[in-house]
Amino acid sequence: MLPDFKYALRQLRKSPGFTLTAIVTLALGIGANTAIFTLVHAVLLRSLPVADPAQLYRIGDKDDCCVEGGFPGNASNTGDFTIFSYDLYQYLKKQTPEFEQLAATQAGQWSWSVRRGNALAKSMHGNIVSGNYFATLGLTAYAGRLFEDADDTPSASPAVVLSYQTWQGEFASDPSILGEVLFIQARPYTVIGITPPGFFGDRETDSPPQFWIPVNTEPYLRGVSSILHHPTSHWLYLLGRLHPGMNTVALQAKISESLRQWIRSNHDMTQNGGSVLIPKQHVILTPAGSGIQNLQQETGKGLDMLMILSTVVLLIACANIANLLLARATVRRADVALRTALGAGRRRILRQILTESVVLATMGGAAGLLVAYGGCHIILALAFPGAKYLPISAQPSFAVLGFAFAVSLLTGVLFGTAPAWLSFHAQPAEALRGINRSTRDRSSLPQKALIVFQAALSVVLLAGAILMTKSLARLEHQSFGVVTTSRYVLHFDPAGAGYTVDRLPALYRQIEDRFSALPGVTSVGLVMYSPLEGDNWSECVIQQGHPAPHPGDDCGSTWDRVSPQFLDSIGVPIIHGRGFTDQDTATSMPAAVVNQTFAKKFFPNQDPVGQHFGIDLTQYAGSWQIVGVFRDFKMNDPRGPVHPVYLRPLAQRFTGYKEPDMISTENNSMFMQAMVIGFHAPPPDVEALIRHTLAGIDPNLTVMDLRSFDAQVAGNFNEDRLVARLTSLFGALALVLASVGLYGVMSYFVARRSGEIGIRMALGATRSSVVAMVMRGALWQILLGLVLGIPAALVAGSLMASQLYQVPYYDPWALIAAILVLNLCAAIAAFIPARRAASIEPMQALRIE
Amino acid sequence: MIELKNVERSYKTGHTETWVLRRVGLTIGEGEFLTVMGPSGAGKSSLLNVLALLDDGWLGEYWFSETAVHALNRKQRADLARQRIGMVFQSYHLLDDLTVAENIDLPLSYKNVPPKERQGMVADILDRFQIVAKKDLYPNQLSGGQQQLVGIARAVVHAPALLLADEPTGNLHSTQAREIMELFCELNRQGTTIVQVTHSEENARYGKRIVELRDGWLTRDEKLEPKTTEVGAK
Repeated sequence: MLPDFKYALRQLRKSPGFTLTAIVTLALGIGANTAIFTLVHAVLLRSLPVADPAQLYRIGDKDDCCVEGGFPGNASNTGDFTIFSYDLYQYLKKQTPEFEQLAATQAGQWSWSVRRGNALAKSMHGNIVSGNYFATLGLTAYAGRLFEDADDTPSASPAVVLSYQTWQGEFASDPSILGEVLFIQARPYTVIGITPPGFFGDRETDSPPQFWIPVNTEPYLRGVSSILHHPTSHWLYLLGRLHPGMNTVALQAKISESLRQWIRSNHDMTQNGGSVLIPKQHVILTPAGSGIQNLQQETGKGLDMLMILSTVVLLIACANIANLLLARATVRRADVALRTALGAGRRRILRQILTESVVLATMGGAAGLLVAYGGCHIILALAFPGAKYLPISAQPSFAVLGFAFAVSLLTGVLFGTAPAWLSFHAQPAEALRGINRSTRDRSSLPQKALIVFQAALSVVLLAGAILMTKSLARLEHQSFGVVTTSRYVLHFDPAGAGYTVDRLPALYRQIEDRFSALPGVTSVGLVMYSPLEGDNWSECVIQQGHPAPHPGDDCGSTWDRVSPQFLDSIGVPIIHGRGFTDQDTATSMPAAVVNQTFAKKFFPNQDPVGQHFGIDLTQYAGSWQIVGVFRDFKMNDPRGPVHPVYLRPLAQRFTGYKEPDMISTENNSMFMQAMVIGFHAPPPDVEALIRHTLAGIDPNLTVMDLRSFDAQVAGNFNEDRLVARLTSLFGALALVLASVGLYGVMSYFVARRSGEIGIRMALGATRSSVVAMVMRGALWQILLGLVLGIPAALVAGSLMASQLYQVPYYDPWALIAAILVLNLCAAIAAFIPARRAASIEPMQALRIE
Repeated sequence: MIELKNVERSYKTGHTETWVLRRVGLTIGEGEFLTVMGPSGAGKSSLLNVLALLDDGWLGEYWFSETAVHALNRKQRADLARQRIGMVFQSYHLLDDLTVAENIDLPLSYKNVPPKERQGMVADILDRFQIVAKKDLYPNQLSGGQQQLVGIARAVVHAPALLLADEPTGNLHSTQAREIMELFCELNRQGTTIVQVTHSEENARYGKRIVELRDGWLTRDEKLEPKTTEVGAK
């Protein structure tokens, strides 16, 4: 074997062009696949690092978030109940002894202000969970202890558990943190433990929880905004550990019946026709060994598509390897014949060729490993830009690496040895004669077929890449209805700094005054949720004089509380009536401004200005008077149509509510969480200036987030960008590989037919006619590839239609562009050997003959 | 028709330069039948390549009729060769996947002769060479002599003024060789100037003049009496 190995190395060294092309091709094919599958494995397939994950089940299957009233999400339409109030959680827990443990975990992933001692407060992601949460998961503490039921009672001393990563990153692995007090939203919590290193929470996310607090401390934490004891405010996901051997189908039916029972006994749910919806209410029990699947649901389709695309790249790479080896094997036919003539046995020759293929595949696999490492880092950076504690490792999946390596090895062995095997059936004398003046090279038919195959796949990938890029461009450059340039969005948290509702007006005045006085500032708008930040509140609107809507009626409208300058700060004009002014005070007439869509939906064919409306219950239908209509803009969903939106002034708190949940929601809405600051031109140190100004107002006010409005809007398209960029990358890879393949085949064609070309030139063929002959040969293969590739691209386009925004999957321009790009690259790839053919000296070629 | 003055050709291999033609001076008149002889490596094929305008790397002067070939660029030389020169090769160099008729048609297609005219010319030459019956056969279905016949037909189909033949009978047995040489004589009688390279004294005697090359030098230039003159060394 050693001489074979040495000979293989010598052979590869002798053909550096072939060796390099083969290794690069293998590296790209293996690397791209491994990198993508690493992401897929980490996001879609990995189990939680907990004890016996197979026994974990979630009650619910959708990603409803974050606080929903009445029938949550689509429950009024489909009956699928997937998010629960604390009251409902406790009820279901009592009804289901089939669960060893049933835990609750907050659906939303909120940021909180956290301070240690006198240090400046930091913004951290925290998760509110039931006391049995860690016991349900079967986790044990890395240090200290995790929650027990006793920590989760109204009278328990507030405790917090830190994640290992936070303990390391934010508290420098200080062991003395255990037992110490941290101030969360200015409330003291004692650190009782640290979770194990690999645990990043119950779901995949780019912002995993940095700490956990017991659900019974929620009122203590959120004060008047608390929702713990609102039976119809749903904000918890339920995660349970089943006793072994439970029948999940029967259990699902049982929990669904318990749910219906709970709804029947709850007046707030049954009023206004809610009883009608009870029969279809149900839950879906889903395996939760891989955690709560929100990210998987959001990104699954995109990741599946990337998997398919990377597999296509691997196929193209394998076709290239096959082509290279076929060409090489044919060239070496005389070598094999000579060896046979000298007495070498078939097995001996096969072993030699096999060794060479294995050596080549091994080198390609090693290079692929490097590409995979780099690729994983790049893909994770693209997928989760700015993520601080990413729960996904960039270490390539070795199972996939092995698979991709095995595929390329098989390709190498198959296409390396098959021609050798076939050549055994030829007479050595024939092969040794080595004369070939054939104008048709039958031995290159499989090579041409592979080129046709590659060209077809390249068109599919290129057309897909162009569709995705076009879709991304349409998404990013659509008219959002707001002006984003020279504007910054600051997220802050007055509640976290200990402010109460009565102290807020003075704080807001101070903020507006201080920021407005900064050089170059044109506007300062305070708002609960800024446009396109990914969160907003929605309520059921009731026009004055109208009956209460039934559950399932489309009465929803997004709403926000804003300062008078807010619409100016985002460049949205009032088109009818007036906007808010400083005269809209706590004591003036309760006012609202609405967008065009709201006016059309709730007051069709009427002048909305002067009309009254309210929310949820008919007794509140006259709460606010519409004073103006503003131009539509996209508030939350950049893909869908504009939703109805109404805005209420900063200073007006509605004090007429009797229901505790409405009172707490109204109180909570008084806390502004964002500020849009407009500049003539932002100064170079704008971020430092904003932070400094906020700290100057109150050092306890934590900057939860600060970015340009442009960046905030762009953040909505991270996944689209990832998919579009990777699709483009794969398209480019496919193009390069197909071009290399075509180049290789045409070079081989020219080398094999140099004699014939020499004769033709000796007989008067011009150089341009030789170029044309070679180019014709290449472009025929591409043309055939297009014939197969165009319908395939249409099918692929239809499969990715749901990923596209305002681009039809049959977009003719994408297809035309793909065809042009492929043809251009093919023309370049074929022109080089064609030129080489044209420069053949007939004299030389004839001498070789 | 052809005049070579001080034509030289060398090849560089590494640091050494090997001369294959040394100061060759040669005049070939219209209607001549010239034989180039000499041992292997003497420069016969190199001289033929220069004459065929397949080689650009020589020095000196080359006049083809009134045209100064040495002053022409590559494209002009190729045009001249296409119009005026035909070539016959020792190993025929027929294209395996083209029929006899298609092989003969090849040089005409490169001269942009209209297809109809080409068909007529190919039919004429097939008739003239009495190979009409073989027009749809492929080269591997022909004997060596028949293949060379097709090679010559292909070389003369466009009625070149100069026919160059490199060992035209080298791969043929004596009967076939005689037939081919007779054909050359016939073509020569009809006015075609012929230059052949051969090792065969017998074949050389079909020509009217012999030149001999040794180590690139022209060492002999002798007119022959048709078929009766003994060829002697200089």
